[in-house]
Amino acid sequence: MDNLSELLHGFTIAVTVPHLALMAVGVLLGILVGVLPGLGAPNGVSLLLPLTFGMQPVSAIILLSSMYWGALFGGSVTSILFNIPGEPSSVATTFDGYPMARDGRPTTALATAFGSAAFGALIGVILITFLASWVAQVALAFGPPEYFAVYFLAFASFVGMGGAAPIKTVVALAIGFAIAAIGIDTVSGSVRLTMGVDELVKGVNFVVAVMGLFGIGELLVAVEEEFHARAVSSKIDWREVLRAVGRLPRHSVALLRSAAIGCWMGITPGGPTAASFMSYGIARRFSRRGRYFGTGEVEGIISPETADHAAGTSALLPMLSLGIPGSATAAVMMGGLMIWGLNPGPMLFVDQKDFVWGLIASMYVGNIVAVALVLLTVPVFAALMRIPFVVIAPLIVIICVVGAYSVSNSYLDVVMMLGFGIVGYLFKKLFYPLAPLVLAIVIGDKAEDAFRQSMLMSKGSLGIFFANKLVTCLVVGGIALLLLPLVLQLARLFRKPASSGTETTSREKVII
Amino acid sequence: MISRRALELATAVLTGSFGVAVVVQSLDNGIGWSSAGVDAGTFPFLTGIIIVAGSLYNLARGVMPAASLASVPIAITPIELRRLAGLFVPAAIFVAAIPLLGMYLASAGYVFAVLAVPRHQSVPRALAMAAATALALYVVFERMFQVSLPHGALAAALGF
Repeated sequence: MDNLSELLHGFTIAVTVPHLALMAVGVLLGILVGVLPGLGAPNGVSLLLPLTFGMQPVSAIILLSSMYWGALFGGSVTSILFNIPGEPSSVATTFDGYPMARDGRPTTALATAFGSAAFGALIGVILITFLASWVAQVALAFGPPEYFAVYFLAFASFVGMGGAAPIKTVVALAIGFAIAAIGIDTVSGSVRLTMGVDELVKGVNFVVAVMGLFGIGELLVAVEEEFHARAVSSKIDWREVLRAVGRLPRHSVALLRSAAIGCWMGITPGGPTAASFMSYGIARRFSRRGRYFGTGEVEGIISPETADHAAGTSALLPMLSLGIPGSATAAVMMGGLMIWGLNPGPMLFVDQKDFVWGLIASMYVGNIVAVALVLLTVPVFAALMRIPFVVIAPLIVIICVVGAYSVSNSYLDVVMMLGFGIVGYLFKKLFYPLAPLVLAIVIGDKAEDAFRQSMLMSKGSLGIFFANKLVTCLVVGGIALLLLPLVLQLARLFRKPASSGTETTSREKVII
Repeated sequence: MISRRALELATAVLTGSFGVAVVVQSLDNGIGWSSAGVDAGTFPFLTGIIIVAGSLYNLARGVMPAASLASVPIAITPIELRRLAGLFVPAAIFVAAIPLLGMYLASAGYVFAVLAVPRHQSVPRALAMAAATALALYVVFERMFQVSLPHGALAAALGF
């Protein structure tokens, strides 16, 4: 229990009035950058960095990490209210969050998301507290084959869970992979699939695709049906917030499972995005109400949010203990650490105990501050849903345009975003699934790189994916998840030989 | 009026031609196994083939509609088409105007046109909203977070 006393000491550092005030400021700024399109935690953290040079390192890291928490929470707001995910890891939140908000329950959707996100983050911090050294070892055991196996597992848990026409799913998935391949190939350095457009060398950014597919595409689908945003109750109802949070313990199985998936994917370098998709896919498969996923199910919000934040939190550990930044934000923070005169890496835990444990304690406190502040803002954000559609529609278009532009200051991105909007509309209209497309765009090239690096290591033998226990377990688990629906289908066919044709068409409608 | 069948066919042709483009492009990168491992074009080539094959299948399904397709023959009615155009055409004009007018003027003009021309809002209110949009963009992006949005050729010509 050495860690525990260190942690208590950390609390005495973190829970002081100036530090609590810093947390509040950081969280509020974080929510702002999280909600705004095209800006994210990396922007916010890099803008605040110069302000921290005069501070104590502990105070500085508390400010920056609080901003990170705020941005994580804020990113879910636009996903739920407008179907515009600000960052890859909140895409899976749109699947059920947006239908629920449009159905007239934005308060419930936001409160559920924040509550489960806070739970996920808490589990992540607890993991860091007690398993810091063990976790660092696991992360070191990961090479290209293990990376590929983790991505494969994420794909397997998400794809093939059926619903849409299988061939359309395959086409959507393959298009996603092709889009991910555009630009410079990181293994060989050659330029791929630019179609003669030089600017495409930088690749197609995920934000551009998602803003078009989800933001503009959804807008076109919505405008086509009459302008009817479902009547949202006009008074701000605090009890609704409390009720939604109070209902969370009923879904404790989903919460715990998603937190476990999130922590696992955070420690292994799968990352928050893969974690949230995987958690959503598994929840959909194992939940009793899995059929209704996509229409505004509570567990469909809980699962990706919990996993996202659990992964986001536990991913800070490799940064501290190994000096490997897991994300852009972590990289900026690491730059900060060096400027403050600290060396990230194993020695940090020995040399700078006050700093490390102050930070870990501040994660507990910071998350509590963040969730309190963010729950206070729920009614304000929910009120946005009451703005008439004719006013909100052009604003959403502007948000998407500005967001797409500011990713890399490119006008081409804006035009591509509009193109993705048409594709998103067509796909939605014709029941092509968007989720596999997005998943492939986000982690497709990473999976391909990992696969090719493994092939280089093994000189072309697939045996490398069964070379040790860890990678074998991951690959076998992935294959099992892929085959599960097939096996279930066969079992059902075996039991009652003829009655499946009608079921698929009715399910198609429920899912989309 | 656009039939479901026509929409299915158009989409299948769209995805299929993207697939063909991917296949053709990936041939440049090599699609085999060389001394440097799996060639860069291999994966795009395979995904391209899958896209083409899948699109052909969807195309065939569209030409010979199955029972489920026949039950919804019309995909977009004329009224819906007009609503779609009402949203998309102004948005496209807005995007087209950005290089000339810059983000601030274009977005203000866009908000004003969309609100005032179909008489959803009175002219003064629409003007106020347009100005507020541009101002909010400027304050938040240019000032607070120092992200520069395009100012446009017009502003450059006037010396801003």
